Amino acid sequence: MPLRLKLSDCTGCQLCQLACSAVHEGAFNPEKARLTIIHEYTEEGIHIASKHCIFCKKCEEACPVGAISNNGRWMIVDHQICIGCGDCVRACPKDVIYLNENRKSIICDLCGGSPKCVKWCPKSVITLKEKAS
Amino acid sequence: MNSTMGKILTVDLSKGLIRTRVTPKEWIELYTGQKGLATRLLMEDLDPSVDPLSAENRLVLATSIMAGTIVSCSAKLAVAAKSPQTGTISDGSVGGHIGAELKYAGYDGVTITGRAKNLQYLYIDPDRVELRDAGQLKGLGAFASETKIKQMIGDDQVKILTIGPAGENLVRFACICSEHYRQLGRGGLGAVMGSKNLKAIAIRGWLDVRVADIEKCMAVAAEAHARDNILDPENDMYVYGTPVLVDMAQESGLLPTRNFQIGRFEGSKRINGETLKALRKNKKACFSCGIACGNYVQVNGSTVEGPEFETIAICGSNIANGDPKLLIELNALCDDMGMDTISTGGVLACMMEMTEKGIHDFGIRFGDTPKAIEMVRQIAHLQGVGKDAALGTLALAKKHGAPQLAMQIKGMELPGYDPRGSWGMGLAYATAPRGGCHMTTYPVALEAWGNLDPFTFEGKAELISTGQNAQFAKFSMGICDFWPIESKTLGKLFEATYGGSWPEEKVNLTGERIFNLQRMFNVMAGFTGKDDRLPPRFHEEKLTEGPPEGIEMTEQAFTATLKEYYDLRGWDEQGRPTVETLSRLGIEEELIERYRKSLK
Repeated sequence: MPLRLKLSDCTGCQLCQLACSAVHEGAFNPEKARLTIIHEYTEEGIHIASKHCIFCKKCEEACPVGAISNNGRWMIVDHQICIGCGDCVRACPKDVIYLNENRKSIICDLCGGSPKCVKWCPKSVITLKEKAS
Repeated sequence: MNSTMGKILTVDLSKGLIRTRVTPKEWIELYTGQKGLATRLLMEDLDPSVDPLSAENRLVLATSIMAGTIVSCSAKLAVAAKSPQTGTISDGSVGGHIGAELKYAGYDGVTITGRAKNLQYLYIDPDRVELRDAGQLKGLGAFASETKIKQMIGDDQVKILTIGPAGENLVRFACICSEHYRQLGRGGLGAVMGSKNLKAIAIRGWLDVRVADIEKCMAVAAEAHARDNILDPENDMYVYGTPVLVDMAQESGLLPTRNFQIGRFEGSKRINGETLKALRKNKKACFSCGIACGNYVQVNGSTVEGPEFETIAICGSNIANGDPKLLIELNALCDDMGMDTISTGGVLACMMEMTEKGIHDFGIRFGDTPKAIEMVRQIAHLQGVGKDAALGTLALAKKHGAPQLAMQIKGMELPGYDPRGSWGMGLAYATAPRGGCHMTTYPVALEAWGNLDPFTFEGKAELISTGQNAQFAKFSMGICDFWPIESKTLGKLFEATYGGSWPEEKVNLTGERIFNLQRMFNVMAGFTGKDDRLPPRFHEEKLTEGPPEGIEMTEQAFTATLKEYYDLRGWDEQGRPTVETLSRLGIEEELIERYRKSLK
């Protein structure tokens, strides 16, 4: 059940990233968000790209210790098991996984089914895809 | 301190010294941030009589308590210096990401003094602050400068402030450009960077911003956004952006036209909100902004964010340019050269009127926009008459014996509202610390487009002074002009981010304190009430169309209102804040003492 971003309507405000880092990390820091809005500055204006979890489960396949699983809707990381090896980070085709200060894998968990990025997006750019593609 | 980074960077370009200092808590309590903090940082041991283009002048950057948080419209960065255009204090703000980025890089502000031996740029991230050679950037337009810096650093997400050739050439109305499409336009701060041999400042951050109570912050922000329709897709600032004002100004007969000779433009429909909306490619927001006022338009290879209303008025109707494509081209050229569109348009309009009146033939006339565009290049590169024009409208008009044709206050060219159609706006212009500026308060919305009588000064002294106080608090606490936020809401947001108790009265008092602090600077720099005047045209000539038709705004009525305004502010008859007033406002004794001594 990945996020769907209609980037043609995205204004690039990054409120989604601020909400994400606030809810999960207790601080405002777009670098710690589980999705990223990227501004590409060109002579023809600003082009917006994004990086977000597409629920491909490659991280789960790559994890050598079985710390990553999914419930059919979002990914789940067990930080008790995670050894901080970074294999998931390297396996992620969207480059949206990172290791936090404690070297634990951080992956979008859709805020447990009610994503705050969706709630905070002012232009309804972000929605939840009901079915995984 | 919550939602501050606790550090201010100090850079001495002459010595190549980079230091950090602790952000003084009492400054946050008294001046909060952004405009207020920039003003306080500027005033610290700077002699207000300093030559603005000397190494001694100081360029200050300041971010705000709200910047970097989820509060909408909060990412603006303030930059201040003594202005080479006016000799007053001048601070402006720029949107985009850079205000938040500076915080994520670990700093609440930056002060820059001295002059580098060769052209340099300043790089700031949480681990490194370095002065780097910018020889390769010499003469580059703002767009190419940014692109090149990103290549040199090897990071395309770095956020940049840069000047174009106009700033390097000390054009008195050179602006500072950011993120390709945004400008800190007014007051000639680009020339201050140029005078310091500082081509650019590049910032990258990844640190946390931690507020007093993050759950409360999110709840208060969400409630305030909803109540004030910040996220509303029907919000005019989203649907149109500022060009929505063109038809309104035209209808009200206050759209500056032909160097403020008239208040309606026959070609207004060709440069209004609907026309420009049709040319729009997409909408973009500043960081953390739910409104997204930014319009990106592109014609003939020129892309701009805009044109904004002020540019449309002053580079459109005011030079009798009714061609939207040429308007965009002119806008894009000013952005790339690094020149304020309002002052540039004001200079062009003055040159056109002088030409048409036979005072001096500059070879440009109203409506001849291609020649005006060529003149912009000449100004940026100090070629031909462009060299004189680069000194600004007032110096140029004086040179040719026609200072009355310079539509400026304190040397800064006027923005897009003819004060004869909004008398309160005239008082706001005259008392704005940085000269002819529409940003201290916006009475035009109440007068021309609301329920107040635009053609009287009755009640306006209080309207303007209280409006300015609230606006100075709003900017200092970190909110953009386009959120018409009430001081009460502002205080609640500040409590949730910074902490403490910030009732409405305290918020407004903070704004009043900052307004007076800027006035202190100007008084110490030699300004008096005599400088709080409108160009004579607005008293001597009547508008001939629309609501203001035939109504005279006498100088006598204006000066009487000015006196009333000074009284309300606790200033003497020369417009100087009294020591008692400054003490009442809680301005530090040390500053008051410096001020008191300067009066003798």
